[in-house]
Amino acid sequence: MGKIQNQIFSSYLRNPVLYDELFDKTGEIKDIYSRLFELYGGHTIKEYVKLNDKAKSSFFNQGITFQVYGEKESTEKIFPFDLFPRIIAPEEWEIIERGAIQRSRALNLFLWDIYHEKKIIKQGIVPLELISSSANYLNQMVDLDPPGGIYNHISGTDIIKHNDGNYYVLEDNIRCPSGVSYVICNRTALKRALFGVFNHYRTHSVTNYAENLLDLLETVKPKGVDIPNVVVLTPGMYNSAFYEHSYLAKTMGVELVEGRDLFVENDFVYMKTTHGPEKIDVIYRRVDDVFIDPLEFRADSALGVPGLFAAYKKGNVTLANAPGTGVADDKAIYTYMPDIIKYYLDEDPILNNVHTYHCSKPDELKYVLEHINELVIKPVDEAGGYGISIGNRLSKEEIEEVKLQVKANPRKYVAQPIMSLSVHPTYIDDTESFEQRHVDLRTFTIMGRDRDFVLKGGLTRVALKKGNLIVNSSQGGGSKDTWVLKS
Amino acid sequence: MPTEYAITYSCENKYENKVRGAHWQFLIIPQTNSSQEVLSIEFTNSLLEAESYSINGLGFKTIRLKTRKSFKSARFRAKMRVLKSEVNPFDFPLENNAEESYKELKSLNFRVDHEAFLKKTDLTTLPENSTSLWSLDTSQTVFTNLQNLNKLVNAYLTFQPSTTTASSTLEEVLAKRNGVCQDFAHLFCALARMNGIPSRYVSGFLHQGSGYFGDSQMHAWSEAFIPKIGWVGFDPCNDLLAGTDYIKVSHGKDYRDCAPIRGVLFTTGKNETIYTVQVEGDQQ
Repeated sequence: MGKIQNQIFSSYLRNPVLYDELFDKTGEIKDIYSRLFELYGGHTIKEYVKLNDKAKSSFFNQGITFQVYGEKESTEKIFPFDLFPRIIAPEEWEIIERGAIQRSRALNLFLWDIYHEKKIIKQGIVPLELISSSANYLNQMVDLDPPGGIYNHISGTDIIKHNDGNYYVLEDNIRCPSGVSYVICNRTALKRALFGVFNHYRTHSVTNYAENLLDLLETVKPKGVDIPNVVVLTPGMYNSAFYEHSYLAKTMGVELVEGRDLFVENDFVYMKTTHGPEKIDVIYRRVDDVFIDPLEFRADSALGVPGLFAAYKKGNVTLANAPGTGVADDKAIYTYMPDIIKYYLDEDPILNNVHTYHCSKPDELKYVLEHINELVIKPVDEAGGYGISIGNRLSKEEIEEVKLQVKANPRKYVAQPIMSLSVHPTYIDDTESFEQRHVDLRTFTIMGRDRDFVLKGGLTRVALKKGNLIVNSSQGGGSKDTWVLKS
Repeated sequence: MPTEYAITYSCENKYENKVRGAHWQFLIIPQTNSSQEVLSIEFTNSLLEAESYSINGLGFKTIRLKTRKSFKSARFRAKMRVLKSEVNPFDFPLENNAEESYKELKSLNFRVDHEAFLKKTDLTTLPENSTSLWSLDTSQTVFTNLQNLNKLVNAYLTFQPSTTTASSTLEEVLAKRNGVCQDFAHLFCALARMNGIPSRYVSGFLHQGSGYFGDSQMHAWSEAFIPKIGWVGFDPCNDLLAGTDYIKVSHGKDYRDCAPIRGVLFTTGKNETIYTVQVEGDQQ
């Protein structure tokens, strides 16, 4: 383990087995970070701690907090923020951006197909069982043409850098991906704490997300509407992402509404206002499919709008993302992504997929059960890092328990080799020093009728617990500002 | 000769506490298809709210009603006149090549096209000990097999109102071997699907002129898809094919897709609902 000569990095322990984004194998700082390294090195750890606290309070002051489901005490937490940013070179970013768009487009065509002719299944490329056994496949969406032909208006693609230096996609989130507000707030917090460092790098802005989102949502307005009225539909203030919902509404300059603020009359959607009803044309909904309309889906939903789906089916309102997109972010579909991209776009995947074993296939199930200590076992239909087991971290008893779970319901699980996520120096409160921590990257892609947008930046999530590979905020992860450099 | 039916659907709801607001959706309007046509709909309600008409997610016409005035009871009545042409349930070309039909049932294209009506749902899942209750005899035509299934379901369950509810699973139904039309239809669908024949749950009205089972509520039966022929209606509750007396409203994977009334209510406490249905027929 090499030591690095720099004030605040003086105690940084570099494990040579891990892919460190700052230092090469010999311990030399990489070119792209050298200036930043010098700038940060000009501070003492004490000064750095002060700045770090300042940045933290900026999150509380802005009200950027969240709650973790299932915890007894529902206290407001901030998403831990690390002042040392991650830098992505323009040539690397170009690959990520093209790869993210490619995946979003392919998934959109896939969704269109499986809700219309189902060619990809009839040709035996994707097995019928993946659709017919998916709880997220909505029969109500069959033969329905969403405005502009777009299903996954907003996609969140989770990408990691493996120790071979290449980017791999871990999953595509196309239901209600969250996290974009943190990208922008992280930038704000870093600017407040260390404005000077931005003078030394030509970094792409991330504040144009909201205007692009609004622009692209306007391109998928219903037929016959001139200037569409857009709203953000939130489940309410108790939702873990409520801050983001309000942030997006505010920055787009549109209303933030709950289900009870809207009503449906003759298959048109209206918002209750002090001036009387106002027709709504596009809803960026952050409410899950089964809760959007109690007359069509779950009757006990108090979050939805009675009659909303019928209005959507009639083409009088656009829902973003479209209902039923969840079937394509099922983790079992992920494993077919290379085939899906090839089938619809006739292109090779730009971003790598991690090899995946389907526990639903007997021979692959056998392999998984025999090699469980080398694999990550994931439920196919859970989000937020819940239910994931990492083989080499399990005790003997835990391994047996996981085996039983998988055997009981093979269709519910997939397994992947344990990927070695790259590490990034992260300030750790307990030791008051920088330590290596695993990071991933969530990118945000928006698709409109004939234009796409990828936010030049993204959410770099950090697994704060030493050695932990799960970076989700609900699992105690933090985040970093992510700089995409201009070429 | 076509028959004109006058159907009256009535529903009365009583609530323990005041209801501050409500949305209802009724899935009770007969479908317009090749054998039936809706001539008129007259909907009235004790709350004097104006109704509206819409199409639900599965493509069936619904009546919607909402109120913001508070109330403790509500009555609804729909009077509908439907013209039904004479249906001969045997009016289709006979399967002269059963082998071909079975080949088709197994083909991927066919299974993909009928995916929705081949998979089991919560209400059409057979308990493990009952999966072999019936299986296809490929030496016979698909139609003959389905007739046998109809007979089998009819004989296996005893029509007995109030022993099951709308949310009863087949496990409960098969344990009691009692049920109402919904349970018969669910069992028919489950067994047909298990054997690779697409089958759907049908909700509608039955003209009970000839003493059929089906009580004074809406009726339920099944439709099964026979290759080269299409959807054919079977009523396992009466061991009959769905003929002229069957006025279809909707179909779906199970009862939940076809529930005649769905409501969202802002209230607390218990409620009680009484439905009645009357079907009168007049040959034209």
